[in-house]
Amino acid sequence: MGSLFSVPIYFVIFRETTEAAVIVSVLLSFLSQVLANDNQMRNRLATQVWAGTALGLLISIAIGAAFIVVWNKYGNNLWAGSEGIWVGVFSLVAVVMITVMGMAMLRTTQIQEKWKVKLSKAMDNENQKGLGNASRRYAMFILPLITVLREGLEAIVFIGGVTFTTESKSIPLAVVVGLISGFIVGYILYRGGNRMNLHRFFTASTCLLLLLAAGLVARAVASFEAYVWGKLTNAQSDDGGTYDPRYNVWALTCCDPKNNDLGGWQLFNALFGWSNIGSIGSVVCYIAYWLIVIVALVYMKLKRRRIAKANALQASHDSSNTTSGEKHSFELEDNKVDPAVAHTNEATRAHSHVIHEDQPADLKHL
Amino acid sequence: MLASIKSLALLALAATAAQAAVVTYNWNITYVNANPDGLHERRVIGVNGQFPIPTINVTLGDTLVINVINQIDQPTSLHSHGLFQTGNAQFDGPSMVTQCPIPPGANFTYTIPIEQHGTYWIHGHNRGQYVDGLRGPLIIHNTNETYKYDEEYTIALADWYHTEHEIMLEQYLSIFNPSGAEPVPESGLINQKTDAKFNFVPGKTYRLRIINMSALAMFHFYIDGHEMEIIEVDGIDVERKVVTSFPVTAAQRYSVLVKARADATKNFILHADMDPAMFDVVPPELELKVKGTIVYNETAPLADSGVTDEYEPFNDALLVPVIPETTQLPDQIFPLTAAFSVLNDYSNKATFNDITYVMPKVPTLYTALTTGNLSSNPEVYGKYSHPMVVKHNEWVEIIINNDDPGNHPFHLHGHVFQIVGRSTGKYDPADGPYPGYINSTNPSRRDTVLVPSEENVAIRFKANNPGVWLFHCHIEWHLQAGLATTLIEAPEVMPSVLKIDPTHIEHCKALGIPYRGNAAGNEGLDLTGANVGPDPLPGTFTAKGIVALVFTIISAFLGLATVIWYAREDDAQISAQIAQAKNTEEQH
Repeated sequence: MGSLFSVPIYFVIFRETTEAAVIVSVLLSFLSQVLANDNQMRNRLATQVWAGTALGLLISIAIGAAFIVVWNKYGNNLWAGSEGIWVGVFSLVAVVMITVMGMAMLRTTQIQEKWKVKLSKAMDNENQKGLGNASRRYAMFILPLITVLREGLEAIVFIGGVTFTTESKSIPLAVVVGLISGFIVGYILYRGGNRMNLHRFFTASTCLLLLLAAGLVARAVASFEAYVWGKLTNAQSDDGGTYDPRYNVWALTCCDPKNNDLGGWQLFNALFGWSNIGSIGSVVCYIAYWLIVIVALVYMKLKRRRIAKANALQASHDSSNTTSGEKHSFELEDNKVDPAVAHTNEATRAHSHVIHEDQPADLKHL
Repeated sequence: MLASIKSLALLALAATAAQAAVVTYNWNITYVNANPDGLHERRVIGVNGQFPIPTINVTLGDTLVINVINQIDQPTSLHSHGLFQTGNAQFDGPSMVTQCPIPPGANFTYTIPIEQHGTYWIHGHNRGQYVDGLRGPLIIHNTNETYKYDEEYTIALADWYHTEHEIMLEQYLSIFNPSGAEPVPESGLINQKTDAKFNFVPGKTYRLRIINMSALAMFHFYIDGHEMEIIEVDGIDVERKVVTSFPVTAAQRYSVLVKARADATKNFILHADMDPAMFDVVPPELELKVKGTIVYNETAPLADSGVTDEYEPFNDALLVPVIPETTQLPDQIFPLTAAFSVLNDYSNKATFNDITYVMPKVPTLYTALTTGNLSSNPEVYGKYSHPMVVKHNEWVEIIINNDDPGNHPFHLHGHVFQIVGRSTGKYDPADGPYPGYINSTNPSRRDTVLVPSEENVAIRFKANNPGVWLFHCHIEWHLQAGLATTLIEAPEVMPSVLKIDPTHIEHCKALGIPYRGNAAGNEGLDLTGANVGPDPLPGTFTAKGIVALVFTIISAFLGLATVIWYAREDDAQISAQIAQAKNTEEQH
């Protein structure tokens, strides 16, 4: 290993930046897809995304610098006592956000209109204040902010731990190259998104995101367990490589993601939550996560089918009426229908209206 | 040939017959309450209701008799550390190696011919009883000492705990101590107190006999304002070596000559600094720098003392024995690698070559004496007593690799050994001959040698003492964790040299311990029922691991498939809706 380039730090920064860039670039791609025709809103929300990213970076760097200064000053491992809890909590928050966002992205075509309507309402200055509204309005700001913060703090903690055993001159180059590599990956995703099959892109990126989230669940649980075990064994450092034998299902001497010499396993850990030490907790929670996702998806799908059926019926009903001057009977029809369906109906009708009129080229294949 | 051993001993005895005496000690092993460091009163193991236990003083040629009555509620035994016990292995002491332990309430008489001289100690050798206080100096005077001095003092150093050893042992060996952190002592003592004083008269020369009786701690020994000359190490007189400080590990002994200063204007501090390297944590209240006082004048002030953490480097392999003994090429070489790891019983244990020591069902010495021709077959002793069988008068070499971050002092019963090599790293016989031999015609000799972390040492001795001799790390916690092997020396000769006193067998019966047969108490090589130890963890997938991994992979695939399924029908549905809408349009 070169003394000017720390490979483990490179991998960590690359990994963290890629994860953050993936999420940010998906957001930006999403915006440029959905709001392809609305430059003003798209730019506004894109600015939110960049602002959230930049603020997250800034805060991470500030906190990181502060911690490293304090750390080196007092020579103590401030994180050591409770790193497990920090990592675990941050990870679970990210899991929830990624999962919700990932699944929401799947309903692309309907989502497009819904988001368009929603986002335009959000941009509307007449809206009243309130936390619920504020978080909705600034979703595009908050999401990248939290993501970048989490990635950044994770990276800082790791680097903080590594600086004791790494020569300082090997850090800057590795950090910079890691950042650049991560940004490139994110950029490719962002650019490529405009020309890719929109739907397949969203499906694929959701698959990747949920895989990441599942891995995060395993890592979060492992992190909590490591914290508890560390307390039980009065461990001086929180990574002695030991584990609770009572709840262990596998313990390999190879394939350790914490072993810096083998970057491959580190990547496996980042993507799939892989660890050479598998506990009952992390395995069960990993499987449970997928079960929850499956159940949620099946439930949402069945509900949608029900709605779509009702819509199709409605559409055939409409077609037997004239499209103009029949609002009255239409409203009557509406009252018999589920309000949620009505909302979706409106969107669908507006959508079909849009399709009928505009026929954007990239939706033709649908 | 081996009659010659016995007759040599008798000759030595006869030579000093004029002064030879039978020195008898009557020791009731009892519990006592004591508070040696003034910080915490606790129950300790003492002798005749007293703590510290009496010092044994004998002379070369004497016969030492210790009449032990066990008046505590645990079985016990006593080991005279460093004594050869030539042809006398049944009195060496380690429980389940050379005897069944002495049952509570029972008597046991140790009869030991004294065939050597120097500084030794005696301590309990069943469980960690010596840590609870059953330890004291055993001084053997020479009829004609090699060096001249005016007076002598015994300086017994020890670490001290406030908790009984069984409680600490349970914590040390529990699954919640996977890193194997040893219990940290609460203080250090000199002669079992914290304010030891030694009177010096100007102009006199003093011999200081330094013994480290610790469970764990190594001490750095030095005296302000006085130079020391090492003249003895582990009972072997050596040529004078001037030192300003030197390290003493657990169980090691040194004698130094110190010339008192010319004037009595000041008193000086005698330092015994505990080395914190093996302490998992150093609590702020732990006083590492233990002090005694050299008193010239009761009223004199103390001389200034510089606090130091830098100690002079010291290599005991450079000490030259006064009575030379050349070395021979070994007939057998045993490479042993010492390591610690979590084994498949999930506790942190010590291993030599991946085998952790577990006591057999029958004391190993009794197995050697009751299995006839099979006694030369290592199998009969059980895998986990880690037998090393050697033939009578063979030269034996042991190469000890320390594959552990800790520093370990290794002790061989029944012998002193030559230190014939030192090197760094881990020696693998497959790499060729041992690279660290020191070429000396008179190598340094001792019975307890420190092997620092990630280093190795080669020791050699002649197997001229038929018997069963334990070889182990003298950090008591590590011995209990299994860092031991058993040397089975000249089993083919043992029955004609050793006779087991019937009272010893009675004690085995009283405790329900078998006293005949192999390590499982059976005849021949049938080892069913033998005590087995934990083994290293496989480090690969087990059945439950594979099942768990397969289920996680399946769940991920199912999840992704569901995602794709969920997203796909969107298309068909939308197309249908679009088609519908188009149709309705066309209808208009």
